[in-house]
Amino acid sequence: MPSIIPALEWIEGLPWTTAIRESAWGYPIIETAHVASIVAFTGLVIMMDLRLVGLAFTHAPLTQIQRRLFPWQMAGLVPSTATGLLLCCVDPLRYYGNVFFRVKLVLLALAGVNALAFHLRTYRTARRWEDDPRVTSTARLAGAVSLLLWSAIIVSGRLIASNWFN
Amino acid sequence: MLPFLEWCEGLAVSQAYRESLWLFTLTQSLHLVAITTFIGAILIVDLRLLGWGPVRQSRAGMARSAQRILLWAGLAVLATGIPQFTANALSYPRSPVFVVKMCLLAAALVFTATVRRRVALADEGGLPSWVPRAVGAVSLALWMGVTIGGRLIAFYG
Repeated sequence: MPSIIPALEWIEGLPWTTAIRESAWGYPIIETAHVASIVAFTGLVIMMDLRLVGLAFTHAPLTQIQRRLFPWQMAGLVPSTATGLLLCCVDPLRYYGNVFFRVKLVLLALAGVNALAFHLRTYRTARRWEDDPRVTSTARLAGAVSLLLWSAIIVSGRLIASNWFN
Repeated sequence: MLPFLEWCEGLAVSQAYRESLWLFTLTQSLHLVAITTFIGAILIVDLRLLGWGPVRQSRAGMARSAQRILLWAGLAVLATGIPQFTANALSYPRSPVFVVKMCLLAAALVFTATVRRRVALADEGGLPSWVPRAVGAVSLALWMGVTIGGRLIAFYG
């Protein structure tokens, strides 16, 4: 199997990634934008999840909340992904070798699958049960799984910066 | 103030935090999860105040439901934030970023508990439309300022 390492070394050696890595402001600015947009995106995802599990906003029909929050969730997701990719490019070898980075990627993929499955299957029938403060058990499960996954993503994101197992 | 800060640092909890490799990091991780939940509950109502959120829902209804999340998540933020402070109580007040964050936090809390709360719970026809919009914008700016300030402490502590 061809190794990914030469590609990562190439990215790390590019003039612009080197410039960001060596500048005093580049990394903190990108990292702070990453955190701020994650908080906005994940915060709104958590609000949707709390509605699903029946802990908040139970008076509001689900599709209305989701439709009105979706653009703002995307307004958080796009910059958090862009800044995340940028951070990867600036220090690819360090992240590649970091166990929490790998865990975070796996959790992100799982959260994506959970969200996709919910939207393609459960959410399709939402009109039938969305007014109910207590939504169907599949929808509640999707909400609970999402809450767990996104909390774990935040924790693993923070742990990337720790130096355990390095 | 100095005796208080010294007392903070002398606490057994503070000592444990300074000596443990993982306690601080783990507490910060939970602090972040609590902050994200808290800011989510702020955002959903701010968006509603700005006229961009779930507008078919009553402002007061959204605000009341969000208030419970704010309370619980806020307690979790405090519980995970205080030991971080006491562990290095003497050094934080010398950090300009920390001082700015705490001033913004104080302003955001006061604003949220007074003006924002009254406007969010007020009768929707009773206020000119710019009032809730302005309140939502100020709240958004204050709380995003607190969040960004918090992140920057670690860089420029």
